[in-house]
Amino acid sequence: MSSHSDNNEEFHYHAPGLQHQFEDMKQQEESVSIGMWMFLVQEIMFFGGLFTAYLVFRSRYPMAFAAGSNHLNAFWGGLNTLVLIVSSLTMALTVYYAQKGNRNMQVILIVLTMFFGSVFLGVKAIEYTDKYNHGLVPVSGWNKRIKEEAGDHHEAAKPCWDVDHNAPVVEHPNPHGEFQWTDCSLVKLAQDHNYLTDAERVGYFNQGTGQIDANKFRDKVRIFYFIYFVMTGLHALHMIIGLGIMTWLLILAWKNTFSADYYMPVEMSGLYWHFVDIVWIFLFPLLYLLGRHFLH
Amino acid sequence: MSDNHEQHEHMNIPKYLAIFGILVVGTIATYFAATIDLDWIFPGANTLLALGIAFTKTACVMLFFMHVYWSPKLIWLSALASFFWLAIMFSYTMQDYFTRSLGVFSS
Amino acid sequence: MQNVDAIGSGISEQPKLNYLTNGFTLKSWLLTKDHKRIAIMYLITVSLFFMAGGIYASVIRLELLTPASDLVQTATYNKVFTQHGILMIFFFLIPSIPAVLGNFLLPIMIGAKDLALPRINLLSLYIYWIGGALTIYALMQGGVDTGWTFYTPYSTTFSNTYVMAVGLGIFINGFSSILTGLNFIVTVHTMRAPGMTWFRLPLFVWAQYATSLVMILGTPVIAITVLLLAIERTVKVGIFDPSIGGDPILFQHMFWFYSHPAVYIMVLPGMGVVSELISNFSRKKIFGYEFIAFSSIAIAVFGFLVWGHHMFVSGQSIYAGLVFSFLTMVVAVPSAIKMFNWAATLYKGSISFDTPMLYGLGFMGLFLIGGLTGLFLGAIGLTVHLTDTYFVVAHFHYVMVGGQVIAYLGGIHYWWPKMTGKMYSEFWGKISAMLVFVGFNLTFGPQFILGYLGMPRRYASYPEELQVLNIFSTAGASVLGVGMLMPVIYLLHSLVWGKPAGDNPWMLPGLEWRTSSPPPTENFEKMPVVTWEAYEFGEESGLDLEGARNRVRPSTVA
Repeated sequence: MSSHSDNNEEFHYHAPGLQHQFEDMKQQEESVSIGMWMFLVQEIMFFGGLFTAYLVFRSRYPMAFAAGSNHLNAFWGGLNTLVLIVSSLTMALTVYYAQKGNRNMQVILIVLTMFFGSVFLGVKAIEYTDKYNHGLVPVSGWNKRIKEEAGDHHEAAKPCWDVDHNAPVVEHPNPHGEFQWTDCSLVKLAQDHNYLTDAERVGYFNQGTGQIDANKFRDKVRIFYFIYFVMTGLHALHMIIGLGIMTWLLILAWKNTFSADYYMPVEMSGLYWHFVDIVWIFLFPLLYLLGRHFLH
Repeated sequence: MSDNHEQHEHMNIPKYLAIFGILVVGTIATYFAATIDLDWIFPGANTLLALGIAFTKTACVMLFFMHVYWSPKLIWLSALASFFWLAIMFSYTMQDYFTRSLGVFSS
Repeated sequence: MQNVDAIGSGISEQPKLNYLTNGFTLKSWLLTKDHKRIAIMYLITVSLFFMAGGIYASVIRLELLTPASDLVQTATYNKVFTQHGILMIFFFLIPSIPAVLGNFLLPIMIGAKDLALPRINLLSLYIYWIGGALTIYALMQGGVDTGWTFYTPYSTTFSNTYVMAVGLGIFINGFSSILTGLNFIVTVHTMRAPGMTWFRLPLFVWAQYATSLVMILGTPVIAITVLLLAIERTVKVGIFDPSIGGDPILFQHMFWFYSHPAVYIMVLPGMGVVSELISNFSRKKIFGYEFIAFSSIAIAVFGFLVWGHHMFVSGQSIYAGLVFSFLTMVVAVPSAIKMFNWAATLYKGSISFDTPMLYGLGFMGLFLIGGLTGLFLGAIGLTVHLTDTYFVVAHFHYVMVGGQVIAYLGGIHYWWPKMTGKMYSEFWGKISAMLVFVGFNLTFGPQFILGYLGMPRRYASYPEELQVLNIFSTAGASVLGVGMLMPVIYLLHSLVWGKPAGDNPWMLPGLEWRTSSPPPTENFEKMPVVTWEAYEFGEESGLDLEGARNRVRPSTVA
């Protein structure tokens, strides 16, 4: 309904999309904008809780976090970051063209945004599969089960800090799909340079022998992977929701709904999309790039 | 007629591409800076640098892609307040963990 | 009884349609965008949750009549107090005043047609229903026994109850809270009528705004905490499990980061109601308007800095404890400022002891005791002795029941004629207010002493020498229960048999009293232009309040 007569018997023309509780479009735009930003504020606090947990555990067990982080593929993570940044650009341009009322460019750019968003999710799927294959999912039973072969010879158990990083990667048997971690060389490095925190001095070592306890260290690395999966998983969920929003926007844009008079839905969807991008901008260095400088 | 109309005319395609360029450079920079050991400056320098780059990129996205630069003060306040509240949550939680071993109760 | 002459000429007839008569189908209610209808639906749901929580409370008090754990087994008792806490806190106290009174009155008080985002408001209601239904279902399946605080590692690892389902219900419910807060903030910023500047807003609106800030900033953190709890419970590995290097204290930090500001979500709207009650029933402009307005914001902000005072004995650093203790003292200051301002408003006011005013005055006294005992608990030396005793229980019931619930009842009574167009029986109103006051003090007063003597909370059994005080407490609870059931009866009675209230039964200048009772769907026949200050009782209000008051006085009609 774009016009009506009120008690004063005057006709009012309403811009398309104006809702009944607002006097004019400006009030609606202002309201919707503040409302969206309030939603983003609460989303920031939502992710913030996870960042707090990350902060607490990273400050306690920095070497476990560094070790876990080194096993993440920073190349894929960096690529994903670039993919999201490109999608942010296409999203911003969508808003630009929506305001200009250019239907064709809007549609192309929304499709591109969705494409890059899907690429991001695809890369995430590759990463998660890789974790599954290597026994890095922190839940017991949720990793790939690798049967013990009859011919498997259990070599004499080497201490977990004595790892040859240049040797080819061997697949260890994992009959129950457990979380596996055998490399605690970073702990040795930190111990030699006196880097360990108080919590680490207790947390990684067998109190009796004073040696690094591989299982205890594995448990701390598992915390890293728990946080990794929850944070990136929640982020991916927000991406999926973002793709849903983009689909809705695509339908509206296809019908040439947006123009200089009415483009707030595009702008607000853009705010959401950029927010998801910002979360990843922080997730990438904090999860993927932690301990790289220890390797050189 | 919307007022925002004039605000967004501040951004055009070359400017969007420029900000995009900054973001890409930031990503590549943070990737390679992470491989250089900066612990000789002080422990945690790597993290500080990574966070600095991340905050710069965030500022670019917020100010220019999300148009905060041209938004009313309330929007600025919301964006800044949310980071301030994060800071409250982080610092107040960590003040517990960092002070557990201090003073007369240290192990 | 028409009081149109108190409003001024221009509106000469009742509108044909008010929000209640504008559509009678179920669909017109369930799919409504009218904030007033949504408020009424919240009112019904919230009252049901209150009664459910009250039933659990009765079981607690009946069990505690005798020193032994005889009425219910200890395991059942754990479920009873947990469920009492969960229902009361998450499903009654947090939504009540914002979702019922705030939803109904905020747009009217600022001169708007509706909230800024009516469909979000409806979504908020649906989410509340879904979260509530899930929680009730889980409670009926067997409930939870972890305490409403869900402390780990008991809740993650050892408890074999429905922690996840209830957690999920609370998670969903949190979004209802967030959306309501979001809506209020936007509305106050963009929907004010011409002339309604920030400092002409009623203090109830300032209080709702401050509450909404807390809702937006705090609730997401409990959401993520409960989510992590649910994940950890499902996959049995996570960050709160000490056996793998996790930290149970982290759970407490994250939990209390929200749950302390949550108590301000509960009490700030109550204080907003009390500001209205005290000023209006003293017929005097509130003393220190700006101070009260800014104190609301200050409480909202400072409330985020004190959560560690729930964790003094948890193993957190003693230095962090010092910081939290100091800030706890500081956060009491804005509340005290309000208390002084209310008292100064009463001074030389023309006080009428109508039912809402009785509740308002009750709030002042009871919140004072609750707040002061909170300071006892904030002092580290004392808290070590009083933690997890009935002293804590008494303290929070004084602020939450003696504070928030009393304010809620006062607000319901005060705005009942506006919401329904009917006047309840003043006689029964006063009786039940006094029963509530006496019953409440008899219930929770002895609990301070019990706590001081060392009776632990959450225990079904206690030493025999404490029985007398517990009997007093249970006796008080029965009086309190009667006092709280009575409004249900006489308020419902008034819907059918109550006298028509008229537009301005209390003869007050507020904007909500310048439209009909019940209001039309669009709130005002003609959108108002505000030219008067808040709490303006003189001529500047544009109303002939004294003249109208001299003609008819509602409390003289029994």
